[in-house]
Amino acid sequence: MMDIINYLFETFSSNMMDIPLIAPIVDYLMKIPVINVLVALILWKPFFAVIIMPGLGVLVLYLLYVVWYERKLTARIQWRVGPLEVARPIRGAIQALADGIRYFFQEAIVHREAHRPYYVQLPILAFIPVLLPIMFIPAGSAVGIYTPYSIQLIVTFIALIPITIVAIGWAANSRFAYIGSVREAFMYFAYEVPFIIAVISMIFLYGSGDAYVAVEKQSAIPGALLNPIAFIVYIIAMLMATSRLPFEIPEADQEIAFGPFVEYSGILFGLVMVLAYEKLYIMTLLFTILFLGGWSGLYCPLLGDLNGPLWMFIKTIVVISILVIVRSIYARYRLDQALRIGWTSMLALSIAALVVGGALGVWLS
Amino acid sequence: MIRLSKVKTDPVENLKRHAEAIGEAVKQAIKPDRVTVEYPRERRKYPECFRGFIVFDKEKCISCFRCAQICPANAIQMEYFDKAYPGIDYAKCIFCHFCVDSCPTGALNTSKVHDVAFKSMDEMKLSTKQITKVPEIVREEKQTVEYYVDRNVWKLVRKKELDRLEVPPKPVKVKERKAACTEPESCLGCRLCANVCPQNAIKVEKCEVSIDEEVTGTGCILQIQTDLCTGCGLCVRQCPMQILTLEEVGE
Amino acid sequence: MDEYVLDIPVEPPKELRSLFIPIPPEYVEDTYKSDDFLILVGPQHPGSGHMRLIVRVKGDIIQEVIPDPGYVHRSMEKLAENRLYIQNIPLVERPAIMDAPNFNLGYVRAIEEALDVEVPERAKYIRTMLAELGRVGTHLYDAAILAVFIGHTTGFMYPFALRELICEALVRLTGARFTSSFIIPGGVRRDADESTLKWIYDMTLAMERRLKSFERIFINNPTVIARLQDVGVLSKEEAIKYGVVGPFLRASGVEYDVRKVEPYEAYDDLAWDMPVSDAGDGYARFLVRVNEVGQSLSIIRQCIKEMPEGRVISEQIAENGNDIRGSFYDSLSNIVLPSGEYTTLTEGARGTIVFSIVSDGESNVPYRLRIVSPGWLYLRGFMESMKGERLADLQAIYGSFGYFPPEADR
Repeated sequence: MMDIINYLFETFSSNMMDIPLIAPIVDYLMKIPVINVLVALILWKPFFAVIIMPGLGVLVLYLLYVVWYERKLTARIQWRVGPLEVARPIRGAIQALADGIRYFFQEAIVHREAHRPYYVQLPILAFIPVLLPIMFIPAGSAVGIYTPYSIQLIVTFIALIPITIVAIGWAANSRFAYIGSVREAFMYFAYEVPFIIAVISMIFLYGSGDAYVAVEKQSAIPGALLNPIAFIVYIIAMLMATSRLPFEIPEADQEIAFGPFVEYSGILFGLVMVLAYEKLYIMTLLFTILFLGGWSGLYCPLLGDLNGPLWMFIKTIVVISILVIVRSIYARYRLDQALRIGWTSMLALSIAALVVGGALGVWLS
Repeated sequence: MIRLSKVKTDPVENLKRHAEAIGEAVKQAIKPDRVTVEYPRERRKYPECFRGFIVFDKEKCISCFRCAQICPANAIQMEYFDKAYPGIDYAKCIFCHFCVDSCPTGALNTSKVHDVAFKSMDEMKLSTKQITKVPEIVREEKQTVEYYVDRNVWKLVRKKELDRLEVPPKPVKVKERKAACTEPESCLGCRLCANVCPQNAIKVEKCEVSIDEEVTGTGCILQIQTDLCTGCGLCVRQCPMQILTLEEVGE
Repeated sequence: MDEYVLDIPVEPPKELRSLFIPIPPEYVEDTYKSDDFLILVGPQHPGSGHMRLIVRVKGDIIQEVIPDPGYVHRSMEKLAENRLYIQNIPLVERPAIMDAPNFNLGYVRAIEEALDVEVPERAKYIRTMLAELGRVGTHLYDAAILAVFIGHTTGFMYPFALRELICEALVRLTGARFTSSFIIPGGVRRDADESTLKWIYDMTLAMERRLKSFERIFINNPTVIARLQDVGVLSKEEAIKYGVVGPFLRASGVEYDVRKVEPYEAYDDLAWDMPVSDAGDGYARFLVRVNEVGQSLSIIRQCIKEMPEGRVISEQIAENGNDIRGSFYDSLSNIVLPSGEYTTLTEGARGTIVFSIVSDGESNVPYRLRIVSPGWLYLRGFMESMKGERLADLQAIYGSFGYFPPEADR
């Protein structure tokens, strides 16, 4: 028993986050038995990257933040105040938490026509492709599983998410959910091709699918300036993929009343509602690595290894905060118009980006 | 005549429009033109003519039933005390204030109260006693908001002082009128007018009538005591022979 | 691509029989046999309002739309037969809440025509101003509904915020935010004082400035233009054939406005233009109304500038010319119209409003009151314009017509 614990402790402590700011506390805790294993586990780099930053821990914080922030920003642009009454002194900042609690205690109704097992399981199953990419997204020296093909892997998992949404619509077995699923499938093809081509153009540019190489190559000029066409294609594809407003076609609430999610209620609705936000988070993490120089930033010696994840998180939040403004600017395109945009201008732009990326990649190497 | 035609949708024009829309949104995000009134914490200032809760002044009422009869929603029912006074059913009231405008003495008056909560439908039927003053409402607000406009801006002006919800009664500019009988000889003696008069100002008495020496009989004489008459006009509306009228007296 | 007829026995869904839809069962069978599909949009749908649309689609293309209105029918015409003429005023303005002054005006003008009442000049100007305030309010309301139907949330919030200015103007003028019942036979209920008129004058200028924000973010938005342009086209001939009225008729290129053709109140003395569009599509219908807002604001300003002094209530109605307070009952409750039929045309925000009063000459209630509201008149054209469009355009066309079920159903 002790051998196992010792072995684990050795493994954890050999690869720990080095943060000078909290070093005295860590040193003190490491002397206490049992607790030192826990502390070592938390600061173990793979664990830290996946569970704390930029993984699950900040993902929850981000969800609470972005739901509130989006409503608040939209309200500001629309001459309103926005959520305010939950915790008035901090301008209603815990509104998302209050909503979450409400979803939690609400009855989750499974209607008669639904395919019961899938209907209940799929919102949870949908988290697999959403959360798995976190394993492969590096942030500085903290990384879950290191692989030289991390960018390709992340793209693969992102491409899996719509399948679960289509399945959710199928399991709900309602007209609106059906139409929503079909729309989701159409949109999937419209954005996925330009999106993947844009990512490939960046892989050509950096000459590798390794996130570390990508970030290293951007040390002088960020990827957004190296290949601005891919940058634009990626942003539009991101809006389409997360069904944000000009392309909020699968969920159009005036037409098909939230599409695939129309029948969900209670905590199940809470789960499927945050799906798009989580997808946005993952795609923005990849966006940061590809175009904004990833975790590179001003180095603060006090934070040590925490610099990487922190910069990554800050960049991601800033990008998302800017992106959510489109919700209050645009009306919804019709499905055929969105498909036309996807298959004509975006495809053409992405191929142009591929050419630029290839040429630059050859020149850089 | 303004003739409109199709708008152009070439890519350059579209990019300009995109830029305009995004620019406007960013401008609003940085410096919002916010117009929200945070209602329970602050209250809009309404003008004196605001049509709100109707306040009743018992002293001025002459029980003329005009308010109850003009009400398009049948929301006013009269209650009988020493005289008949109105009570208002707020489940029916549509706040057209035809009753306020109909009142010849200004006994009904408006107020700025527009937010009264009732616990049940029965409670919404307010009796005369309940409408003689503005209902007690919890004033949560700390300030009063007014819409200020000039040539360029529309903004909210917030003031610390609280708005008075009562509206001072305005005098009614109507000439005083009293009931009068135009053709006393046509009176049937049905006494409907005497019964309906809230002031008991009308007396109908039997009397001997003689046109000439041969034709004699009993008739009726209608006496209106002008000092008691308030000019409510109930008798005028009741008279089956339509021989009563309201006549202007003095100024 | 050739179509092949497959003779597969299809059974229409059973629930269509229990839903009391106003179409024969043969139609349903025919639809399903010819490989079409029936979709019931509404009455409980975020994009239908209080009405049901029976949409026959082939794939994604709408073949035919059959309306099923009447969900908010309140038998206004029958109710009016049991009320005094004056008590009908709050009733007739109920169909279109924001457009109340125009409905009020139409009804009152019919009574005035019967009684031969001369309306004082100042009252005419105040009435014109009220009618235009109602028009601006309705157009803003419709723009907001259009915005939310095509998913533009900011486009929904801005007009509703701007409408607040109209409500405030109406409060200052009449005392109520809408359904003001302010216009009475022989004038208006109360004179407007100088400060109120100045406030309204400034309000129109401030509103024009704020409308610029709305224009940048919604009217000129490329996504909005993409959704509305070339959608739901009604040609000039079709618009006339189907009896479309108001701004929707003008959007199809017909120069017809009751205010120009048979001017009433003060419209003849004021300088204003009639916006007409040739396109006839959804965006043209919207743009015509946007331009009408500008014209209405200009009319309001002219009314305030050129408002003459004097009484606001005719001598034939009341002695006190500035305020009806105190003599409302005595002067108006006992109106009896001479026998005959009196009809007025009024240009409401959504089109021509027809009021027709039939009086028997002795009772103080109308023998018959006929109200034809614009919604009912353009319903046919609205349904025809949806043929051949995509199902997702249904909401956009609905919004571009500003169809308001309570107004059409009365």
